[in-house]
This record gives sequence, structure tokens and C-alpha cells, in this order.
Amino acid sequence: MEHHTNTHETKAAKVQMPVQQNNLSIPVAIVIAGMFIAGAVYFSSNKNTAIPTVVGNNPVVNQQPPKVDIGSLDQMAIISGSDHIRGNPNAPIKIVEYSDTECPFCKRFHDTMKEVMDEYGKNGKVAWVYRHFPLIQLHSKATKEAEATECANELGGPDGFWAYIDRLFEITPSNNGLDLNELPKIAQYIGLDVNKFTTCLASGKYIKHIEEDTQNATATGGNGTPWSIVVAKNGKKYPLSGAQPYASVRQLIELALQEK
Amino acid sequence: MVIQALQKVFQKPLYVILALVISTAVFVFAVWFPNISLIVKIMGHPGISFSEKLDLPISLLGSIVTNFTLLSAMYTIAIAILFGVNFSMIIYFLHRRIVDVKQNGITMGFFGIASGVIGMGCAACGSFLLTSILSLFGATWILSFLPLTGGEFGILGVILLTISFYVIAKQIQNPAVCSS
Repeated sequence: MEHHTNTHETKAAKVQMPVQQNNLSIPVAIVIAGMFIAGAVYFSSNKNTAIPTVVGNNPVVNQQPPKVDIGSLDQMAIISGSDHIRGNPNAPIKIVEYSDTECPFCKRFHDTMKEVMDEYGKNGKVAWVYRHFPLIQLHSKATKEAEATECANELGGPDGFWAYIDRLFEITPSNNGLDLNELPKIAQYIGLDVNKFTTCLASGKYIKHIEEDTQNATATGGNGTPWSIVVAKNGKKYPLSGAQPYASVRQLIELALQEK
Repeated sequence: MVIQALQKVFQKPLYVILALVISTAVFVFAVWFPNISLIVKIMGHPGISFSEKLDLPISLLGSIVTNFTLLSAMYTIAIAILFGVNFSMIIYFLHRRIVDVKQNGITMGFFGIASGVIGMGCAACGSFLLTSILSLFGATWILSFLPLTGGEFGILGVILLTISFYVIAKQIQNPAVCSS
């Protein structure tokens, strides 16, 4: 009898062993998972540290962000005459979009914004402001394409800019899939002087401007593209991250229109 | 064995509801993730009616179609479902006081969620946590060498949660007990 009891205890002890060995594994796993989730919320809210940026003609370089109040919508550069504005420049609602021409979601959101302008642009309620935010770690061609849109602006004015970028988004397969030899062809397609366009593109004179846009996107809290800021008439700003559905953009515009 | 374990757990409606609630919560979190600050701002706005406050977050759920690739949408939904099921099974486990079991499955489940969270977001556009983590070390260039530019972590999350699910199901079906 006693022997039987001992045998039972021995077996039970063998079963209990793993519990003692792993008794910290669940708390540790929970803590790590919690840290990741908390970090996700923290980084996605307003403490952006990712700064994909362009530096001169150098290859991909990852710079530290400027020492400013990172993640504040108030850091948004004032909308000025140097911006690319589609629609009524005095519209009560302005949607400032920071975009990357090789991002597939920007391509999708470009169509959404065209839809927005069809509904709200024609009656002058919404203006679309386009700024550059090439994510060069992911899309090395995006900076050159952004330069191309600036050259189109130089040669064709605002109409040239918008015609060029519409066509670029239309034909690019995204994710660095566009052959850069297509850039002069797009210029030709929309009726620009190809020789002047090629000279402009080779000069690299708009790189600084693109860099400024990129840094401003990061300063306002953008850590991915498309990154948009809806600005109401009273100056109140609403952040919108990603290629959100048309219904969401529409509702945000309606809310912003209520601001006095 | 897995099916039998599922039947054992989900024959009680409470565990079904629990799994549904948790799965929905994880899915909603994943989809709202890029716009949490916007949602907070709208919810705290005194001049917006309650129904309008609800409209925007609900419409943002549609971004599972517009702001996700097919692959990332699939693993986001899979992570949400697997997490809900795992959670319910763990609660069943704890409720039945089956404590003398290997806890690897539970641990694996939490690592799965952690991995899934890292991979959440728009991998192609850098708006996900991994970008931020890597940038802390100046190592965002690593993303360009990953075939799925970070989506691998979402897939890893699905794999870990599946292993967790299997291990827990096995333990529910064959709990470690004293044999004669």
C-alpha cells in the first residue's frame, strides 16, 4: 500500500515538473506582447520616428528627424502659392495629402481624391493640396518621379502638374515597378516639351523641395503613405492615415464643414 | 483531436461569445490602428453628435479592403480569429483548472499576437510598427530585403497562433494527469 502511494507521488511529481519550469513563460509572453501592442499604439499615435527622406543625389540614406515637436499637426507647413492645389484655393476645406508615387495605396487613394474633387471640388468646398513623401527605403524610384512632377509643374503650370501626376499614377504598377524611361514619355503624352523636361529632370533642382515636403510630413506625424491632413475653415486639423474608403473621407469632410 | 477539443470548448455558448468578442476586438483594433488618433479626436469632439461620432469609425472598417493588400487582409483576419479561439480555449483551460499541463501553447499564442501586431499595417507603405521599431536602430533598410517588406511578421503571427491552437487543443483533449 505504502509502496503504491510512493509510486503515485513519483508520477505526479514528474507531471508537475514542466509547470515549475515554465511558470514564468506566460507572464513573460504577456509582458512582451503587451509591450509590442503598447508600442504599436504609441508609435502610431504621435511619436513618429520613421523618417524616410531624400538627401541630395546620394543613395538611400536614413536620417534622423529634425529636432522639432514631432507628430504635431500644427507643424504642417502653411499652404502657400508654391503648393500644388487642385480646386478652389480658398475652399473652406483643404485636404493636404503627402504621397509617394510608387506606393500602391497612394495610387488607390489618388482615385479616391479624384472622386472627392468630383463631388466637393466642383462647388468649391474642397481643395486638394499635394505634397511629396517618397519612402525611399521601399521605393527608390519615387524621388525621381516626384522630381518629374515638379518639372511638369515648371513647364506646364498647375495643369501640367496634375495632368502629369494623374497619368503617372495611372500607368505605374507601383512598388518601384515603373520604368523611369517612361517619365519623358508621360511628359510627351501630356504635351510638354520633352527636351526641356529631360534637362529639368537631370538637374536635380527640386530635390531640396521634395526633401522639405518629406520632413514636413514626418513632423506632422506621418509615418507612412498616403498621409493626409484635413484642414477645416477654422484651422482645425484632422489626421487621416492610409488609403481610407471614400465613405470615410466624405464623412470627415462633412464633419470638418461643420467647423465654424 | 482538434475538432473534438473545439467541440468540448464551444459546446458552451459563453465560450463562443467570448471568442467572437475577442476576435472582433482584435480585428477592429488592427483596422483602426493607423487612425487611432483621429478616432480619439472625433470621439472627444463636443460639437459632434453621437451618431456622427459612430459613423466615421464604422466607415473606417472598410479600409480592410482599401488599405490592405489581399495577403495582409487575410493574415489580419486569420490572426483575429485565431486569437479569439485561443483566448476562449485558454479561459476554458483555466476554468477547468487544468494547470498541470505544458504551457507552451499559451506562450506561443502571446508571441503570435506580438508578431502579428508588428506586422500589422500597410507594409508596402511603411505605416506599420516594424518601420518605427527598425528606425530606432537606423535599420529601416532591412525592409527592402524582406520579400514581403515586413508582411512576414503577420504570417509568422498566424503560424505561431496556429501552433498555440494545436498545442492547447491537444492538452484539452489529453490533459496531463496522473496515470495508474
